Amino acid sequence: MIADHTLRDLIRTGLPDADVAIQDRTGTHDHFNVTVRSQAFAGKTLIQQHQLVYRALKAALADGRVHAVELTTIIAEN
Amino acid sequence: MADFKEEIAREIQSNPILVYGKGTKDAPRCGFTLETIEFFNRFGYPFEVIDVLENQPKREVLSEMTDWPTLPKVFIGGTFYGDTDILEPMAASGELAAKLGEAFGGAPPAPKQTINLH
Repeated sequence: MIADHTLRDLIRTGLPDADVAIQDRTGTHDHFNVTVRSQAFAGKTLIQQHQLVYRALKAALADGRVHAVELTTIIAEN
Repeated sequence: MADFKEEIAREIQSNPILVYGKGTKDAPRCGFTLETIEFFNRFGYPFEVIDVLENQPKREVLSEMTDWPTLPKVFIGGTFYGDTDILEPMAASGELAAKLGEAFGGAPPAPKQTINLH
């Protein structure tokens, strides 16, 4: 279980400019739909974009605070 | 650790489509693993699901190799493609059909089974 703002802060540690939209899928605050918009995604493949987000969430996924994420990444325009 | 790396290398080498997931093809134990099985059922190519739910050391090796912390993890033709969050857009753009064709050496997928109702 993790609070939305904590999840958003974690993502922003890796992607400081990120716009983050979070939706709790199950009401249990551990399965989320997350949409991240960042300029850091520019020039990266979709898989690299997701890896950037997952890197920032690594600890929260490892300790079980976050169980699953359905992730959408969007390249932010300048 | 090295043993798992060899085992994984062997597995991704011998299965053109390989899913590391939670549970088996017949008995998936996670909604995302089920979603991935249903996803590949659409394409008509054979695919393998390897259950790593209870194998924590192997999961850790897999996560390190791929820089991807969650299951399922999908490999096509030996290359890592994440999960359906990556594969759905690839399917929509037609990129996935090309990759699958390549992974299976240009062989067409099995025809969809049709049932005739008389």
